[in-house]
Amino acid sequence: MRTALLRRWRAVSLRWRVALAFGLVTTALAGLLSVATWQLASSYMLEQRERGATSQAVVDARLVADSLRRGSDDLPTLLVGLTGEPGTTVLLERGGAWTMAGQPVEVEQVPTVLLASAAAGTPSRQRLRISGAPVLAVAVAVTPTGDLFVRLAPLTELDRTLRYVSAVLVAGTALAGLLGVLLGWWTARRALRPLTDLTDAAARMAEGDLRARLPTRHEADLAPLATRFNDTADALAERVQRDARFAGDVSHELRTPLTTMINAGEVLRRRRDELPEAARRAVDLLVADVRRFHRMVEDLLEISRGIQAPDRHDLEPVDLAVVAENVPAALTPGGVLEIERPAPLVSADRRRLDRVLANLCENAGHHGGGVVRLGVRRRDGWAAIEVDDEGPGVPEELRDRVFERFTRGPRTGRDGADTGGTGLGLALVAQHIHGLGGRVWVEDRPGGGARFVVALREVTP
Amino acid sequence: MATRVLLVEDDERIRQALGLALADEGYDVVETATGEEALDVVDPDLDVVLLDLMLPGIDGIEVCSTLRSRGDLPIIIATARTDTADVIAGLEAGADDYVTKPLVAGELSARIRALLRRRRPAASPDADDGAPGPPEVRLGELTIHPGRQAVERHGVPVHLTHTEFRLLSELVSAGGDVVTREQLLQRVWGYDYFGDTRLLDVHVRRLRRKIEPDPDAPTLVLTVRGSGYRAAR
Repeated sequence: MRTALLRRWRAVSLRWRVALAFGLVTTALAGLLSVATWQLASSYMLEQRERGATSQAVVDARLVADSLRRGSDDLPTLLVGLTGEPGTTVLLERGGAWTMAGQPVEVEQVPTVLLASAAAGTPSRQRLRISGAPVLAVAVAVTPTGDLFVRLAPLTELDRTLRYVSAVLVAGTALAGLLGVLLGWWTARRALRPLTDLTDAAARMAEGDLRARLPTRHEADLAPLATRFNDTADALAERVQRDARFAGDVSHELRTPLTTMINAGEVLRRRRDELPEAARRAVDLLVADVRRFHRMVEDLLEISRGIQAPDRHDLEPVDLAVVAENVPAALTPGGVLEIERPAPLVSADRRRLDRVLANLCENAGHHGGGVVRLGVRRRDGWAAIEVDDEGPGVPEELRDRVFERFTRGPRTGRDGADTGGTGLGLALVAQHIHGLGGRVWVEDRPGGGARFVVALREVTP
Repeated sequence: MATRVLLVEDDERIRQALGLALADEGYDVVETATGEEALDVVDPDLDVVLLDLMLPGIDGIEVCSTLRSRGDLPIIIATARTDTADVIAGLEAGADDYVTKPLVAGELSARIRALLRRRRPAASPDADDGAPGPPEVRLGELTIHPGRQAVERHGVPVHLTHTEFRLLSELVSAGGDVVTREQLLQRVWGYDYFGDTRLLDVHVRRLRRKIEPDPDAPTLVLTVRGSGYRAAR
């Protein structure tokens, strides 16, 4: 039970834990102060009121005693005069008979203990409720023979005042608690901001942005954290670059033998008809694979270049309609072109954008039976190019992975048939588009098939 | 007569393979391994030069500008990377086109054919109906003679390469309308797709240096941002 509570407490974020702790402490302190204030104020006020009521009753009793001694007949008038403020009742017992003036009450409601105590000679008082209203009863002996004078004074006003005070105190306590929570939340937020920065930077890094760094801080507690994180990030970025450079260097070195192979292969291919059957088939195989090898090396080079130096100098405003219309029909056989006019402009490197579109179209050709629609439109504030096919689509769990290097389509693996892709086309698309600050994803095409979407920030000319 | 190609490439194997494949495509290939050698063997019978930019000794850029200063022999440069300053430097030095390694004979052959087509006068809509040739066109102070492929300013010849002349002709024949970069790349260089706009931009710069009174404030060949270029009306 306790461990379960503890676990739940630990699941609460540190920020909220600090805020709640602040709130609890302030509530407790304010509550304590309020209770003390309440005690002092209420007892003082009651005391004052009771003392006042008692002396009033004693004076009244003396007046009644005088009147009795004189044997005057105006006792009822006197009693009415003694009621004073509204809601008050005065009672007089003479030889077992009660006379009453003011607010009418049942005599039985006056406690006998009080009467007995007054009859013993001491003015007595007691708080009680009559017909639901708070009342202060004071009983005084009028004559030594046991005649009693009782004054019932309403405490409604005092009660209202006390209620008001208590409401103010409760509200004050609650407000203090709330302020405590706010203060705690704010303090924790300030104190934890470096941690939030760290989370953000780490998340950006996880998404592949190797340029994410923490701002350098001067606080002694936090400076080492920022420095350490940034050093780690630098080391990681350098390592990624080194790997990319290596891939680039390897591809670069491969190009010399590749040139020989391609051109020698071309010579053989041109003489294909002069060759015996077996040699002809060998040449076909050779030439096809050398071509793919060629494309793979080019894609690898392009990928390693992109990682090494995200260049900004080739950016210019590009009209997406021009880009889409420029895609050769050979890449989108039978596909329709749908362009929203006026077409959005984006800031991009035209050569890369052409490459992106060509790769997406080729991908649709390899895996989706060809492009059925090439669309340019605005989507949620982005300028988007959509490449639709009518193929089997991309299953949910593969939608991120297809943009990784050498993730080949399911058809390639299953029947061994070569779809002609290098396994780098979509990776290159993702890299180029991320380099341009855009996004790329694949979704279901309405009506079946896959829709690859490239989204870039629209710019004004 | 077969097209004569001068192949300047320092790597023995690439030179051999490329030479073999180009010869197989029907070209008459002259092979050299250095820039010095290339400058020695250049003769008026050559039709096109294929020049590697990375050469020992005199480098490709220098060979390119030397060749250009001697005449308007078409030059294609071969570069290892597309996105370096090399491409721009080579084009600024006077190259007409560029290809990236690894070089493929078929692709090269297409570039060479497109280049050589530029030697012929620009095709005019009514070229086939036996007209005596397109008439002269005026652009600012320039007089353009499409038939002779010549440009004069106040009767003084302005020397343009075939590529520069073709570019100017395409802009002028649009009559001041915008010609998109894609159209220019297609019509002048024969690129259907993946034409590099830098190729065009550098050529426009070169053209402006030759024909504009003030190349930094062009008045004849105007840029239309985000779209293309147009000639002054």
